[in-house]
Amino acid sequence: MNDELCGTVRELIPDFVCSRLPATDLEVVERHVIDCGECHAELQLAQVILAGRRSPPPELLERLARTIDASRPQPVRTWWAVSAAAVAALALGIGISSDPSAGALISVPGYASEVEEGAIWLSDDGLLAGAPHFDGLSDDALLQLLDELSVGSTGGAA
Amino acid sequence: MSVREEERRDEEPSDEELVHAGRSGDDSALGTLVKRHHAAAYRVAVSLVGEDDLAQDVVQDAFMKAFKALGGFRGDSSFRTWLLTITANEACGALRRRGRKRETALEDAGPIESQAMGPAEAAAVAQEAGRARQMLERLPEKQRLSVSLRIEEGLSFKEIGEVIGSSEGAARVNYFHGIRRLRELME
Repeated sequence: MNDELCGTVRELIPDFVCSRLPATDLEVVERHVIDCGECHAELQLAQVILAGRRSPPPELLERLARTIDASRPQPVRTWWAVSAAAVAALALGIGISSDPSAGALISVPGYASEVEEGAIWLSDDGLLAGAPHFDGLSDDALLQLLDELSVGSTGGAA
Repeated sequence: MSVREEERRDEEPSDEELVHAGRSGDDSALGTLVKRHHAAAYRVAVSLVGEDDLAQDVVQDAFMKAFKALGGFRGDSSFRTWLLTITANEACGALRRRGRKRETALEDAGPIESQAMGPAEAAAVAQEAGRARQMLERLPEKQRLSVSLRIEEGLSFKEIGEVIGSSEGAARVNYFHGIRRLRELME
């Protein structure tokens, strides 16, 4: 038994049992434990400890995934929807300023039902007045709004 | 981790890359970090609190804390060491809250990992491994953690020192004392 070599080998044993040793160190350990009973016993103990390593319960991973999912901040509106809202706001301004014939449109648009009461109101010409809250609208409602404004603008230009 | 696993991991994004992606809001990167490290975190937690349910709570809290603090993670240590340090702190906090009473319900503390071997050999190894685990439970906390972090997780003594809150030298001493005591207990 060589105390210095035993010390070196015992430092290497944990990496040996986990197959993390480079080939040169691997050979040092393999050769040494043939003749050294103490280091051989320590190697066996490390192998047994590794074999007894616990596995986490399968439900833990699912639980962690659910927790991370639940803690995620609410998604912000996508860039295209924000752009659509900006276009809609612009088109709304054009429609109000250039389409006097739109006064005939008195019906409340469908998307208005998705907006909190009091957040929007109808102007005299039947179009939305004030500052509509586009953030409260779904993507479908925004598209519907764009369609309606597009029709209104076309009518105004004719 | 085997050499084959190491090689496979070489093709996968590193923890550092996943942390960077996670900071930028990539949830799938966080999911990969969870998959990669939840088992080690669980073993550290159950080694400290000794009870499966509480260990799972600890792991959940540790990941949530780590992800919330990801922006402040400087990378002085590896993500794995950092997470295991948070897990150990959470476990100690959980023990403090319940009055330092550690449960030792070993049969509830997760199954032993299976190895590829014949049934008779597997049974003999499982029996011996179960005994080693019981003996491991008898070691003082820092010796127990040093042994399991070195052999089961492959951490260096410097990394073990970070997790158990001591120097590299103290981690080495704790490991070798733990191994010597285990050998005595196993004989």
